[in-house]
Amino acid sequence: MIDYFTIALTHGLIAVAAWRLLFRDDLDSDREVDATDEAHGRTAGKRADKVGSDDA
Amino acid sequence: MLDLVLLAFILGMLALGLRRPFIWVLTYLYIDIVAPQKIGWGIIQAIPLSFIAFIAAFTGWALFDSKEGSRFTFRQGLILALLLWCGWTTLNADFPVDALTKWDWVWKALIFAIFLPLTLRTKLRIEAAALVMAFSVGAIIISGGIKTILSGGGYGTLSSLVQSNEGLYEGSTLSMVAISVIPLFLWVARHGTIFPKSRWTILFAAGLIFAALLVPVGTQTRTGLVCIAVLGVLMLRSVKNRFLYAGLGAVALMAAIPFLPQSFTERMETISNPEGDESASTRLAVWQWTIDYVGEKPLGGGFDAFRGNSFTYRMRIEEGTQDNSRVRYEKVTDEGRAYHSSYFEVLGEQGWPGLVLWLWIHGLGLWQMERIRRRMKARETPEEKRWYELATALQHGQAIYLVGALFVGIAYQPFVFYLVALQIALASLLSRKTSAKPKFAPKRPGKKVTEPTASSSPGEAPA
Repeated sequence: MIDYFTIALTHGLIAVAAWRLLFRDDLDSDREVDATDEAHGRTAGKRADKVGSDDA
Repeated sequence: MLDLVLLAFILGMLALGLRRPFIWVLTYLYIDIVAPQKIGWGIIQAIPLSFIAFIAAFTGWALFDSKEGSRFTFRQGLILALLLWCGWTTLNADFPVDALTKWDWVWKALIFAIFLPLTLRTKLRIEAAALVMAFSVGAIIISGGIKTILSGGGYGTLSSLVQSNEGLYEGSTLSMVAISVIPLFLWVARHGTIFPKSRWTILFAAGLIFAALLVPVGTQTRTGLVCIAVLGVLMLRSVKNRFLYAGLGAVALMAAIPFLPQSFTERMETISNPEGDESASTRLAVWQWTIDYVGEKPLGGGFDAFRGNSFTYRMRIEEGTQDNSRVRYEKVTDEGRAYHSSYFEVLGEQGWPGLVLWLWIHGLGLWQMERIRRRMKARETPEEKRWYELATALQHGQAIYLVGALFVGIAYQPFVFYLVALQIALASLLSRKTSAKPKFAPKRPGKKVTEPTASSSPGEAPA
């Protein structure tokens, strides 16, 4: 019974995680995300207006 | 029924991999850690799950995955050198048949440790691998934790998901892994994007940590207690109010002692009094034997070279009641005793060259993570805090292992090599990002500076 509970909980969570990964573009490439981060000034707190997003 | 559930889960993961082949890598990690073929009783035992997942993971990477950002680092080269060296010592082993049996699983662990960083080339992939590793260990320790609460456990008797005492399910190994993965639990809960931080992730992490702390109690292994102590000391580095933390820790420990099973406290008392314990006496004798052995054979004797040892020593035995006790010394002869220490395991089996490589792999990991910690500490963006804390988690996990490994022969434990692989991937990703970032250019007043665009060509040398 304990084993069934443990397996259901952890395997369920791993399955949900894998399912969510299917819809994440940043799974295969960080490039677009980095460009978006820069555009929002999230990385290193720099102003991003100088770094264009056209390099993505 | 359990077989079908596990098979359905694995088939589901393999099916998801058809759309995103990286999920096959995660599937292999899960299979290697949890060993579902040992949990089930029927058909699942007959299917070579591990082999299928490995082929899928490798083929998926080789044929369908972009290699952008993948690079072969120096540390992977060290693991490769260790692998080749182990292969050579296996060919010249003292006990060729036994050596081959161990080689059979060691090479797979090392190969996957070399391969894994090549696939972990984005932030999300590193997070996903950390999550699957954490939840896979979670599957074993939640079961172990609950059973400890219900039954109290016992040395060599607590069975988690599997009624076996080998691999990750062996008591001391499980205790060590359960404690060393605690920092990773915290990181996944606090910095995850697959399951973003919420009260649920924190609650789940708290449950996992509680279960992890119960595993050394349930398995009644002294190594686990030592690992908890190391974790407690390491956490002092990260907490803001150290005195408060140390005080609360001491209070929690005092409060927990009455709840611990008597057999556990009795066994833990032998840490400070190892004289009358055969396990401890044997260790010292085996270690001395190993040093003498490599004096004669500096290149090691191949896997399981310990089978050739034999030594006699005097062990202290106390008899009678506490008020009327009698002490006598008895001669004990041991043959083929295992190393009971990863350091001596590598030294005896792989000789000095193997030990140097093994220590280099781990020492470099501690150092690389420390460098990331130092680089990121001053910065205050959430992104940098995230990597700072992952580097800390991986470094602390490894440090706990390196202390636990003093007393257990788990030098080639696959889970630890996967932690090493995560470290390699993190260091590689961050060095790539640093080298890809525009260099700081001082801006002159009145002159507009055009910053170069970021590039990340795969051929760039690591920073």
